Amino acid sequence: MAEVEETLKRIQTHEGVIGTIVVNAEGIPIRTTLDNSTTVQYAGLLHQLTMKARSTVRDIDPQNDLTFLRIRSKKHEIMVAPDKEYMLIVIQNPSE
Amino acid sequence: MNIYNISIPRYSRRHNTIKMSIPTAKLKKPTLKVTPSSRAMNISTSGILRLNRSATYARSINASVSRKSFCLAADSKILEKSSVQTPKHTIQVLDENGKDVTPRPVYQPDPAAVQSKHSKIFASDTSGGTMSDFYSTTYQTTTNASFAGAFTRSLFGSGSVSIGSQSIMESMSEEIEDPSSKRDNSISLSDVQVKREEVKELIQEEMLDDMVDLYLVESDTLCLLDMPAISVSVDSMEAESVKERNSRYTELCKNRTGNDKYMGRSMQTFNGASKTKEVQSEAITMADAATIANNWDMYDSFCSAGQGEVDLSTDTDKASIAEMIHQNHGPTRTMERTMSVISSSTIVSSSSSRMEMEPFVVPSESKPDPELILQSEEFQQHLFVMERIILENIYQPKLAAYRQLPTLEDPDSMPKAVPMVVSRREESSLDEEGPPTPALERLWSFSCELTTGRNVSSMAWNKRNPDLLAVGYGQFAFKDQKPGLVCCWSLKNPSWPERIFTCQSGVTALDFSASSASMLAVGMHDGTIATYNVQSREKTPVIDSSDCVHKHTSPVWQVRWINHERALSGEDKGEALISVSADGRISKWFLRKGLDCIDLMKLKRTRNDRFKRQVGEKERKSEALISRQAPGLCFDFHPTDSNIYLAGTEEGHIHKCSCSYNEQFLETYQAHKGPLYRITWSPFCSDVFLSCSSDWTIQLWRQDLFTPVLGFMSTQRAVYDVMWSPKWATVFGAVNEGRMEIWDLGASILDPTIVNPASPGVKLTSLLFATETDCVLVGDSDGQVSVYQLKNFTAGEGTQVGTLEDIIGSTLASQL
Repeated sequence: MAEVEETLKRIQTHEGVIGTIVVNAEGIPIRTTLDNSTTVQYAGLLHQLTMKARSTVRDIDPQNDLTFLRIRSKKHEIMVAPDKEYMLIVIQNPSE
Repeated sequence: MNIYNISIPRYSRRHNTIKMSIPTAKLKKPTLKVTPSSRAMNISTSGILRLNRSATYARSINASVSRKSFCLAADSKILEKSSVQTPKHTIQVLDENGKDVTPRPVYQPDPAAVQSKHSKIFASDTSGGTMSDFYSTTYQTTTNASFAGAFTRSLFGSGSVSIGSQSIMESMSEEIEDPSSKRDNSISLSDVQVKREEVKELIQEEMLDDMVDLYLVESDTLCLLDMPAISVSVDSMEAESVKERNSRYTELCKNRTGNDKYMGRSMQTFNGASKTKEVQSEAITMADAATIANNWDMYDSFCSAGQGEVDLSTDTDKASIAEMIHQNHGPTRTMERTMSVISSSTIVSSSSSRMEMEPFVVPSESKPDPELILQSEEFQQHLFVMERIILENIYQPKLAAYRQLPTLEDPDSMPKAVPMVVSRREESSLDEEGPPTPALERLWSFSCELTTGRNVSSMAWNKRNPDLLAVGYGQFAFKDQKPGLVCCWSLKNPSWPERIFTCQSGVTALDFSASSASMLAVGMHDGTIATYNVQSREKTPVIDSSDCVHKHTSPVWQVRWINHERALSGEDKGEALISVSADGRISKWFLRKGLDCIDLMKLKRTRNDRFKRQVGEKERKSEALISRQAPGLCFDFHPTDSNIYLAGTEEGHIHKCSCSYNEQFLETYQAHKGPLYRITWSPFCSDVFLSCSSDWTIQLWRQDLFTPVLGFMSTQRAVYDVMWSPKWATVFGAVNEGRMEIWDLGASILDPTIVNPASPGVKLTSLLFATETDCVLVGDSDGQVSVYQLKNFTAGEGTQVGTLEDIIGSTLASQL
């Protein structure tokens, strides 16, 4: 448990990381460094996108599955690690 | 309801049977009440009542009359009861209005003709009226042959016929008798036959005593359906005639065409009148249901449905994946890495794919505890991956440079890149005057808060995974000893080590095993040797030498895993751990009921005649030696011959030893005036080795010469570490207290080619070349391991073994 906390803290303090969000399967944030409205927005939108991405991957090959999703935009990069029970989202500005 | 009088051939019998029931139906009509006395049964007229039964007959007639009135009543709904009860000779039907609606008979046969036929039948002197009535009744009802009587008798036999109608039966039987002889008559008379109604007589007293004769005869055969066969057996009698007819017909058909006798003609058939019928029913409620069946949805259902059977195959799949995961579970150090760092996500993704192997199910109502989520292993794994990805984003250019990949500028960060580019252009413009000067570019450094303030004492690459680096932290000096630290760093995470092992005393030596790539041997300041398994997450060493009897009593300055290929005995084969320590022993460690060692060599002190040393003089004077052995500081096994090794002592002597002799040195090279910190054979020239010591010099030796071929000195600082470049034969790196130097003997044997000064206040303590790339790692006393890339370093093509040998040769020649 301490290791998890430590790792989370380290992630948050890395260079360029804007925010870290952990939401459970219903979209309720467990851990977040952003404000609630932003968190909920990110969680909702990314959940849908993750579902679509997973559906796409599995449609092509049902034995395959989605493990990681990265969206690179002009301003920053959103990285999503999806799982059955939770979703880990990190927003980073890589070129700082 | 109309009753049609049809003059029909013998098929009428069929109809008659049907029609027979109708009157009975009529009889049941509530409006028409028939007294039992007037119930009548139709009897075929072929049988005639006897004269003496005229009353009965009349009754029957009456009954038929009443029957007729029944029939009529259906149309006119009037029944004169009187007509039912009382026998009448003339029948008149009156409707409500009193109109005479007596139906006239449809068919008027020739009474004379019929009468003659019926003369036999009607023996009774019936009036013409009755006859006409009779006929009318005949025509009003369908006719029947005698058999009908029997049939009707059977119809009514159940209960309608009273006992009193025995007379009827009699008469009927008489009648029936007749038709058997008069079959033809009955046939011809079928159209004028009439059903007789059975008259139920009142049982009269006098009739009870009568003898009643009952005759039972076989009734006529009923033919309900006669479909003549269209094919005849060849053996039958008719076959000939049939054949003849057939042949005639075929001839006829042949002759038909073109024959004037025959003409084709068309006919139109009537179509049956159609009738529409409507039915109303309750509305059928319908509901729409839709679903999208994805490819994976079907696969999931199939998998979950056939889970029991498919379990075996999926288990093997999962087992194989689990094996893969197990290998990946550590920081992928046992796996081959591709050149691209970006592919790290795909490599680790294969480990996290284990979690998503289960069919994707919509999350159920159970809410997993948030704490459970945070503590789950998958979450840790995801965090681990996420951290690496974040760092990859940050360090991407540096890592790409390390891997010698072209670094691409981020297109979105152009404004920031401009000054960098400008500076680079400036640099390059300066260099354009001549060939670009070799330089070092600092890429990054491995350091974290744990390591700050610690002195880097040794570094070692993993033999199998070239991206894994083990760094040992420990003080060299006797004072300020604090518990040592070993960190295993991965290239993918320069900010936090993958493994952290704390040791009880300062770490002074490290080496990874080649045969079992996860074994790390650690030598410590207190003489302890421990081996760690870096694959596991355990913090404790696998084995420790602290219980060993022969353990080292002084700091272990170097450990090496040496592979003895040519061994004298069987158990020496394989890899052995060799260590040298300040107590003057070079020991070989092996596992036999615990870690145990044997001494390969005891480094004895040798009298040093050439150089005067304070210590040496003192020793000679006092003859009171602290120890008969010289502290060993370093050793190196010959790259090809694992029996020969060099050992360097604190005295400054280099001893060439052999594993076969553990008492004597083969050779001794004496040149250094101070403790030797490092000896290393050249990986390319098997005769050449380098040594560095605290006397500010680096010496290049050749095996057969007892004086160094070349000596290098640049500053007046002790040289802590020297290492040959794994890529070029003429290049080696050295690190002294204040700076790091790269020497290229092909370029200059007097000055280092590249010099990189250390940060102020920090001493550089160790050097390590990266095996596959042009990078150098430098450890310093502040706990930082900096990674430098050699830029613009062209030492020529090939390994330049020839160049080195030329240099040596020319140097020797010049010395002579």
